[in-house]
Amino acid sequence: MAFKLSEEFKAKADKICARYPRRDAALIPLLLELQKETGYVAEEGMDALAAFLGLPYSRVKAVVTFYTMFNREPSGKYHLQVCRNISCHMAGAEGLLARLSSKLGIAEGETTKDGLFTLSAVECLGACGSAPVMQVNEKYFENLTGEKLDALLDDLRHNRVMPR
Amino acid sequence: MPTITIDGKSIEVEKGTTLLAAAQKLGIYIPRYCYHPKLSISGNCRMCLVEVEKAPKLLTACSTEAAEGMVVRTTSDKVKAARRDVLEYLLINHPLDCPICDQAGECGLQDYYMDYSLARSRFSMADKVRREKRRPIGPNLVLDNERCILCTRCVRFCSEVTKTSELEVMNRGDHSYIDLKEGKALDNGYSLNIADICPVGAFTSRDFRFKQRVWFLKRTKTVCLGCATGCLVEAHHNENVIYRLVPDPNPETNTWLCDHGRLTYKALQAGDRLKKGVIKNGLIELEPALREAATRIDEARGAVAVMGSPWLSIEDNAALARLARDSVKTGDYCFDFNFEQGIKDGILINKDQAPNTAGVRPVKAAYGGISMGELAGRIASGKIKLLLTEARAAALLKDALKDSGTRVVVFAANRGEIPAGAYATLPYAAYFETPGTFINYQGLRRRTTPPVAAPEGVKPLWDVVNKLASYSGASLGLDSGDDALKGISF
Repeated sequence: MAFKLSEEFKAKADKICARYPRRDAALIPLLLELQKETGYVAEEGMDALAAFLGLPYSRVKAVVTFYTMFNREPSGKYHLQVCRNISCHMAGAEGLLARLSSKLGIAEGETTKDGLFTLSAVECLGACGSAPVMQVNEKYFENLTGEKLDALLDDLRHNRVMPR
Repeated sequence: MPTITIDGKSIEVEKGTTLLAAAQKLGIYIPRYCYHPKLSISGNCRMCLVEVEKAPKLLTACSTEAAEGMVVRTTSDKVKAARRDVLEYLLINHPLDCPICDQAGECGLQDYYMDYSLARSRFSMADKVRREKRRPIGPNLVLDNERCILCTRCVRFCSEVTKTSELEVMNRGDHSYIDLKEGKALDNGYSLNIADICPVGAFTSRDFRFKQRVWFLKRTKTVCLGCATGCLVEAHHNENVIYRLVPDPNPETNTWLCDHGRLTYKALQAGDRLKKGVIKNGLIELEPALREAATRIDEARGAVAVMGSPWLSIEDNAALARLARDSVKTGDYCFDFNFEQGIKDGILINKDQAPNTAGVRPVKAAYGGISMGELAGRIASGKIKLLLTEARAAALLKDALKDSGTRVVVFAANRGEIPAGAYATLPYAAYFETPGTFINYQGLRRRTTPPVAAPEGVKPLWDVVNKLASYSGASLGLDSGDDALKGISF
């Protein structure tokens, strides 16, 4: 199935490109836009975007694989992203990851069968002051503990918190 | 123009010169992995760190421009320690599989470890990051990501030289690796250069892998005759077998070498390499083949044409001209080739696939002859009973020869070159087996040096021509290739 960028997306993309001195500088904002549409950046999307920006495909792929904030496959309704960098690690991120993994019955990078949760370990979320941190979709949950995490999972399951 | 001091030696360099280039001019070698003189500067490998007075930290020599009064040290304890540390760092995840690595003997990691480190690793083998090994990544290359030090020379080569941008560093940090689009092959016509510029055993040549350890190889500088560009190359060989061709970088013609040119040596080892004569479709010993050819030429006397070839050296073309004029005694000879020349892909590959179109011109100037059109006309009208030429040149007259009844006698090195319907074929020593003079598209004289000897009994073309003449009772007096060059000015 040939993937095509929608006219709507192209119009938006042209506006974003205009903000930069060079068209290819808009790569990351456009990847984020693309991800907003389907929740992830597909191979075909990278191809289409590379052609749109006049970049080689390999460049786009390199950028997508560099950043943990780009998903390369569809994720669950809630994408749990546990920071594993130094501050969070020292504040117990490892334990949080293990707890999530055993509670949800999935390993890092996997999605629960009901399609509700995807678990990822990510690089620094820039919130070391309130470590350990987990980002759910686009919302931060800070100063986490095991109890807080359990409560949060419960809330998410029952739609009581709705990160964007 | 800034004047700087490196290791106590002063040098004035042009503005913009890097410390690495300035040191090179002074004969001071600074180790490097990611730096390549013909690629953009990356500065990622940190191997070229040097100490610059008043600079708080060590600086990368490859990317630091010389400034007035700089005092640089390349052998201080600080620099030595840095080199040792960089090597330890680069080797943390290296698989150390040198015994089964084809790069061994010409590996940047091995060489620099011996020169600048000799330290034991503080990391255990068990903790090394494992990656995909021996993955065929195109028709010419194998990629071993475990051995890669991420210098990105290959990435820059593909984006700057071939402009095909197949390769990139994927992922990040400890997880980084070189990759290209899934399902795609790395095949851009110049891919084997990547095996050359890869400083470690990550990219190796599928053609050369495991054929020969590099320390057994002897090197002979010669010329690639894959097209009219005439790139200078180094043939690596051992015991009369060529194992690979690599570029011999020069400012006039080439830094790189195309994949087609690199593999031209394979014709010597191909199964269809001619070591005997061919009459119609049957192999026959050299002497009877020569006698048969001479008899047919004598038989057709008065209706014999001789054509030179842009695939042959000046010596061989001149010998053919002598044969036509002094033995066959015909005016129907042709040394008229006018192929369009010029680089067709912006890199190295020439529009003219023959290596010596320009070199046949001085032969024509010395001996004259008829034009290709006239020769074709005479053949088509049935006036020529026998045509003697080189196999690939004969193909140029394919249309005229069709239904003309002309007997074709050709010289060929490989059976695959023989045109359909040729009556007799005489083998001769090929490009890498005999010295010859060629003129490339730039008008530069290219003299080949043979790395290997021809199969037993197979002689250079000028020698075969000399014999042909003697069978017909004429003496051309050609005792060497140089004899054939007499009277030709180029």
